[in-house]
Amino acid sequence: MRPFGGSSGIISAFDSVPVMQMRLMPIFLLLVCQSAAAELPDWSGVWQRVEGNGGMFDVSTTEPPDGRAGSPGARQHPPLTERWEAKYRANLALVAVDRLPDPISRCGTPAGFPRLLALPDVYEFIVRPEQTWIITENGPNILRIYTDGRSHPPAEEMWPTFTGDSVGRWDQDVLSFTTIGMIGESQTVLDRSGMVLSDQATVATRMSLTDEGLLRAELEIDDPLALTETWHVVRHFRRMPHGTKAYDYACAENNRNPITDAGQTLTLDTEGKVIDKVIEDD
Amino acid sequence: MIRTAFLVASLLLASFADAHHSSAMFDKNRVVEITATVTEFQWTNPHVWIEINIANEDGQEEAWSIEGLGPNSLFRNGWRPNSFKAGDVIEIRFNPMHDGSNAGGFIGAKFSDGRTLGRWD
Repeated sequence: MRPFGGSSGIISAFDSVPVMQMRLMPIFLLLVCQSAAAELPDWSGVWQRVEGNGGMFDVSTTEPPDGRAGSPGARQHPPLTERWEAKYRANLALVAVDRLPDPISRCGTPAGFPRLLALPDVYEFIVRPEQTWIITENGPNILRIYTDGRSHPPAEEMWPTFTGDSVGRWDQDVLSFTTIGMIGESQTVLDRSGMVLSDQATVATRMSLTDEGLLRAELEIDDPLALTETWHVVRHFRRMPHGTKAYDYACAENNRNPITDAGQTLTLDTEGKVIDKVIEDD
Repeated sequence: MIRTAFLVASLLLASFADAHHSSAMFDKNRVVEITATVTEFQWTNPHVWIEINIANEDGQEEAWSIEGLGPNSLFRNGWRPNSFKAGDVIEIRFNPMHDGSNAGGFIGAKFSDGRTLGRWD
């Protein structure tokens, strides 16, 4: 009796060892994947951003140092071109009168990359040999980082998206990836201070655990339209206590703060009627 | 016009800086502390809402809507879907709206049994 059965002539033509090899192949591949996964770092659990400042993207250049994104007068200092400094100043002026149209306040579109590395609430980093997912509770957002050896798609197969296209590789415990194809200023901001990049931006990111157990993300951002030189940004994440859970974030579930075309944030009562006594014309 | 409103240092601070929308409608330089009766607690995204009745200067009840952060972060800080119940009589602190409308940004609450939520120190 053959150990793995098979009674047809076709099967029996492959008899014995070749058949065993074929049938054991899935087990072999599983072991290979498990082995590869075992070599990857442990980024399990639930994490929270370390740098706060109300989501200010680059806290190292924030002025004043404790300035919060969205607070009048608070800004950061990326190496902006003259034209994009003017764009930033225009948005800062809108912040000063509470009229900056932050896209995510409308509960319709994701924050996108790289802003998704500066969000409140919690994060999960799902590491697999072929792909890593960064999942943000707030939004939610998903950044898919392919580490299976593929390259970015050819230009004719890409279009601007909120998270763009990320491919990278593991070098021991360091995940390096590049992201291109982000939608830029047309539908995203980097933070509520009004910082924006163009759709020509590229981001090179390196992520690894520090000796203190923080997850560190070092970003090198280039943008031929917006930046005069590479913008270096570092952000960290702290692992939350074991058992911490992430939950649904459904922004449109009960959004009682619609935004007018003029950029004014309104407040609705339980019946959906506007509470605000002063509503500016659009 | 509600009965009690006084000026103290800003207490809204960090919390609403992470709201899904601008918090500029709230007057961070004014804090209202007042007795209120809960009429409804909306444990929903993107913000929880504490619906309350407050007696005005004429002793008449006015409906107010007090906005909190999102349920996910609040849950991780000890809040629960039943933290407030209709009929609860509470002391509540909030930053009122600049334009005087009947809404505010939650700061803290103290229950009749002495429990507190948010900032109450």
